[in-house]
Amino acid sequence: RRVLDVVKEDVYEAIDNREGSFCAELLSFKHPHVANPRLQLASPEDKCQQVLEPPYDEMVAAHLRCTYAVANHDFVEAYKFQTLVAFQSHKEENWALPVMFAVTLDLRIFANNAEQQLQKKGKGQPSEMLEKAAEQLMSCFRVCASDNRAGIEDSKKWGMMFLSNQLFKIYFKINKLHLCKPLIRAIDSSNLKNDYSPAQKVTYKYYVGRKAMFDSDFKLAEEFLSYAFDHCHRSSQKNKRMILIYLLPVKMLLGHMPTHQLLRKYDLMQFSDVTKAVSEGNLLLLNEALSKHETFFIRCGIFLILEKLKIITYRNLFKKVYLLLRTHQLPLEAFLVALRMMKVEDVDIDEVQCILANLIYMGHIKGYISHQHQKLVVSKQNPFPPLSSVS
Amino acid sequence: MHDTVSFVALCYSNPESAKEQERSHSQRRGAPSEGQWRQRDKEQWQGEGKAQVRQADEEEQKPRQHEEDMVPKGTCQTMCPAQELRDREAQNRLHHFEMLPGTEKDRRPKGDPSRAVKEYSRPAAGKDSTKPSDLRPPPVLLKTVNYLINDIAAAPSLYPWTEVYTFVFDRLRAVKQDMIIQRMSGLDCVGILERTVRFLIYASYRLCGEPLRLYDPRINDIHLQEYLSWLLDCYMTKTGPHPNQEEFQSLSLLYNLGSARTMQHTMQLPLRLRSTPNIKLALFINQAFLERNPVRLLRLAQKLNFLQTCALHRHLMTCRQDLLLVYSHGYSSRNCRFPLDRLAKLLFLDASLTAQLCRSCGVEVNKDNQVVFSKAAFTEPGQGTLHCKLYHSIASEKQRDLTVKNIVQSCVETNKK
Repeated sequence: RRVLDVVKEDVYEAIDNREGSFCAELLSFKHPHVANPRLQLASPEDKCQQVLEPPYDEMVAAHLRCTYAVANHDFVEAYKFQTLVAFQSHKEENWALPVMFAVTLDLRIFANNAEQQLQKKGKGQPSEMLEKAAEQLMSCFRVCASDNRAGIEDSKKWGMMFLSNQLFKIYFKINKLHLCKPLIRAIDSSNLKNDYSPAQKVTYKYYVGRKAMFDSDFKLAEEFLSYAFDHCHRSSQKNKRMILIYLLPVKMLLGHMPTHQLLRKYDLMQFSDVTKAVSEGNLLLLNEALSKHETFFIRCGIFLILEKLKIITYRNLFKKVYLLLRTHQLPLEAFLVALRMMKVEDVDIDEVQCILANLIYMGHIKGYISHQHQKLVVSKQNPFPPLSSVS
Repeated sequence: MHDTVSFVALCYSNPESAKEQERSHSQRRGAPSEGQWRQRDKEQWQGEGKAQVRQADEEEQKPRQHEEDMVPKGTCQTMCPAQELRDREAQNRLHHFEMLPGTEKDRRPKGDPSRAVKEYSRPAAGKDSTKPSDLRPPPVLLKTVNYLINDIAAAPSLYPWTEVYTFVFDRLRAVKQDMIIQRMSGLDCVGILERTVRFLIYASYRLCGEPLRLYDPRINDIHLQEYLSWLLDCYMTKTGPHPNQEEFQSLSLLYNLGSARTMQHTMQLPLRLRSTPNIKLALFINQAFLERNPVRLLRLAQKLNFLQTCALHRHLMTCRQDLLLVYSHGYSSRNCRFPLDRLAKLLFLDASLTAQLCRSCGVEVNKDNQVVFSKAAFTEPGQGTLHCKLYHSIASEKQRDLTVKNIVQSCVETNKK
């Protein structure tokens, strides 16, 4: 029997028996069958039509053409065929959800690869392929979200979180985070939201947490990212590290500095100088630390958020001045001197006043500035409230 | 190809049909769109009728391939296609900038072919916008844009500048349309887009405060963002050199002050580019904004050139208000006495404008010209009570001897194409 016949009959049987996972394997690029050159066909439609009913005839044929394209390293073509597979993958009942998962995952991966290929050739607009993939995934999502079958066990709604996670990955990559909102809303209003698999939930909370960070909603970000970190499987060191990269800046903004052990355990020593600088109120060290690891921070997309730590650093520095002078009427000059000691040269008394005014406005300092006396007058009680209690 | 035949041979016992299969494969280079496979009758697939099917397949492919090769290429060598000029003349739809001098008062004024410019028209069903004779090729488009800037926008005119703007805006939109239809990309676009962006940024400042029926800042903004976005994409996809990229990346940062998305995009630019003075300055200004340090922001803004200030200007009102808000909290006490002059210096305004701004925000200025900050007193000024135009000094001082031509063409004049 020919290889192709064997595979097709297996697919036929899997479909007939509604074996979702097995079927998914036969259509997934994670499965070794894709490396078999005897399956990498340029035109397998006839054979597929002979054995399989629609839509599987097209799906399998497109899948095989896809393996051909991938073998030739032509990811733009591969993406085109994968689109066809994906288009059909949500038509069945929910036993085929694993198929849809496998297929849409490959779709996103091919879109990524295709984009890189196009970029190298200088063709196409940036993000074009990923946006197309997102559109297709979005239509799968809509099909799932609107599945109103009576029995919840049969509903395609179970596909919603997986698809959202795939879409999040794309939206973050193409820097269009606002598109996450409708997905988050849909999941939030679904009664299944707590019943998805742990892995899916962790991924979901990770992305929603990152979105909250981006929206400067740090309390929410902390909640979601902490959940993701705590529930991420112990063996997934790499994933835990990724979550931590975003959780750390949020926690620091809320006044919680990570321990040295934690940073070492997850190989995140880039944060150690930042942590030290912020706790000490050392602006010079902060600037140096941000500059030293700039590439890493920018690549992860946290550079801008870490810059917000400047305000916390000012607060810590000024608190030290207060503790040193032991009076609640602090001359503005003292803050200027403190800044100069930190080698901050380009700040003058006007800016010092502005920085102080902002700290007061944000609630980090309880008091007021007296321009006439050129003094900061702080409250006798708890003038520098703990960071975690502020906003 | 050799390999394909052997693959196919594996599947078919009949070498004849293998050859046919190969032929139809090469014709099926492009993947069929979703609907096409569905159109086949199921019967046809079962053995018989393979040849018919292959023929149907070919025919389905033909129009698509044809379409792919047929990117419209313009041949119109004038700023306005001859046909359109004739039509608009006959229908009395010429703009007075396009009329032959001396015929403006006629019942049917005549069009001046050297001054008529293709107008924007909405795409409509049945309208063929791809006729080559109606489309202008890249060199003509650039010539058109230069004409619009140098001879219309920058020229002294008897007409109010709002009219000049509306005309140029519309004609630039038609240029953009021609670019899109002809799928222009890369370096061809850059020159055109750069001038357009400069023009719209300048307009956003000059027409600020004009009545809505004459100028709508939101529409200007929507189009400006589109052009800017396209321009930045061009820089990304086509390897340089792009001599003006520094200028436009910084204009984008200033126009979109505080936008995390724009900043993230900038941070991902190559270090060499990011470290250029204009981009660095724009980044510092953004950082001052995010840190909520309006004193620093307004000081840094002094270093900007005129066009950069135009890009930033719409955010300046927010920054000044912010300063008053933050100071209202920071200095809030009954005995507060903050000298008005000092405040004026920080805001880069004169004393009377400062007092006016304070009044609009509920901030008290006493008879000794001392500001009495109070956190309870500050109120967000109502919509439309603050007239940005009154506070334009920060920009107007920089305009001095600059002409519109200087501003929009600026250093582009050294890159004659």
